[in-house]
Amino acid sequence: MAVTSIHPFAQCITCHAWSPDQSMVAFCPNNNEAHIYRLVEDKWEKVHVLQKHDQVISGIDWSARSNRIVTASHDRNSYVWNLEGSEWVPTLVILRLNRAALCVQWSPKENKFAVGSGAKTVCICYYEQENNWWVSKLIRKRHDSSVTSVSWHPNNILLATTSTDGKCRVFSTFIKGVDAKDSKKSTSSDLKFGELIVQLDLSSSWTFGVKWSPSGNTLAYVGHNSMIYFVDDVGPSPLAQNVVFRDLPLRDVLFVSEKTVIGVGFDCNPMVFTADERGVWGFVRYLGERKIVSSGSRYGSQFSEAFGKFYGQSKQGGSNDAVETSRTRGAVHDNCINSIMPLGERGILTKRFSTSGLDGKIVLWDLENEHDLLEL
Amino acid sequence: MAGSEGFVEADNAEAIITRIEHKTLKIETLLKQFKPVEALKTALEGTYAMTSDERCKSAHWIVVHRAIMAIKDVDGMLSSLDPEYYDILMKYLYRGLSTGDRPTCDQCLRIHEKLTERAGHGCILRFLTDTVNTV
Repeated sequence: MAVTSIHPFAQCITCHAWSPDQSMVAFCPNNNEAHIYRLVEDKWEKVHVLQKHDQVISGIDWSARSNRIVTASHDRNSYVWNLEGSEWVPTLVILRLNRAALCVQWSPKENKFAVGSGAKTVCICYYEQENNWWVSKLIRKRHDSSVTSVSWHPNNILLATTSTDGKCRVFSTFIKGVDAKDSKKSTSSDLKFGELIVQLDLSSSWTFGVKWSPSGNTLAYVGHNSMIYFVDDVGPSPLAQNVVFRDLPLRDVLFVSEKTVIGVGFDCNPMVFTADERGVWGFVRYLGERKIVSSGSRYGSQFSEAFGKFYGQSKQGGSNDAVETSRTRGAVHDNCINSIMPLGERGILTKRFSTSGLDGKIVLWDLENEHDLLEL
Repeated sequence: MAGSEGFVEADNAEAIITRIEHKTLKIETLLKQFKPVEALKTALEGTYAMTSDERCKSAHWIVVHRAIMAIKDVDGMLSSLDPEYYDILMKYLYRGLSTGDRPTCDQCLRIHEKLTERAGHGCILRFLTDTVNTV
């Protein structure tokens, strides 16, 4: 099995991120704090609590080179945290939002970060040296609903977003003075800030979890209708594919290679999707334990199991085995997985990654022994 | 402008109704030949090109309903039905359940159980979330 370790940290985890050397993990235990744990002699030790937000932290990202943490919260603000001595010092970033911030991600060069929000806007934030201040520039009037996820193209200019209006969009985030004009290919730097490159209208329901492939050639995102979308040749004439699957919808995806995607979501069990040599995407299998094959008599018992789970939850954990549903029995997570993060060297191939979800666990996975997947 | 668009829409609707009438004849023939699965396939075909026109939807539903009610062997039907039809069939099953008619509901529930086993919860999710292409 691909699981290497399971760490039950909290009741519920909204988001998590790893330090550059992956010795520490930062996560939000469904409140206004971010906790940082370090692995000391096989035991996780709480080393810092980042306490500045007023409401639930919905997004967190830890930059790999500059060692900065950015958090986004329902309180409509972001903080950039710098480690000074042994203390994490927050810098307030006024996003100028009138609704909750929902997701955040550092750009590949770590000179900008993007925040998606419930105010139908995306904030692109960058540092202004002369004022010692993070400035937020908004992409307005482009989304018809909340922005659920943001993802940076490797070129540091293009940003993909998904929204509850069912669309996936790609924008230019070129900012004068921040992005050097000559360093990039002429195509991406000619674009003005906030220019819409492409709008993909493939889903009729909410969309989540957009990601670029390592090369930036392929875009993947999921719909709340149990479908996953793959888009090649992002530009004027994109090539889109949709893959239907039989179980509950996904929330987030991760490219582990150009041709392999891991999807996580309401089914509590990571799913693997791959592209064949012709570039056609399809569902391969679950990464966790095989599910129990459904039998005819399952439906009656499912209700009583759900009922049992409902009452079991008031006991808060404890003897959970008795009330686990057949669907999740043997699975590693027992509630919706809402985030997946890569681990190890960022390169063409990611073999290790972590998942966190509403069950408060952070699970580490390794594809090393999944030979059928690595051959692809 | 709006007037001409309305005209095109109406014209379209007429064409669709005519096509549905042809379909009805074909389905009746298939049912007489004891080919209920073929009839259902024919009924479900082309429903992707649905308009928002309520008249067309009702006409189509009558055809599909006729085919659904003729199904005796649900497992056999699902085995020979292409998986690409599962989503559209699910939509019609929910339409059937919404009628409240006893025999229709009985039949739709029977198929619903078997279809869910085959096509999973994802199929139901796709019905629930699709507010654009309703049947």
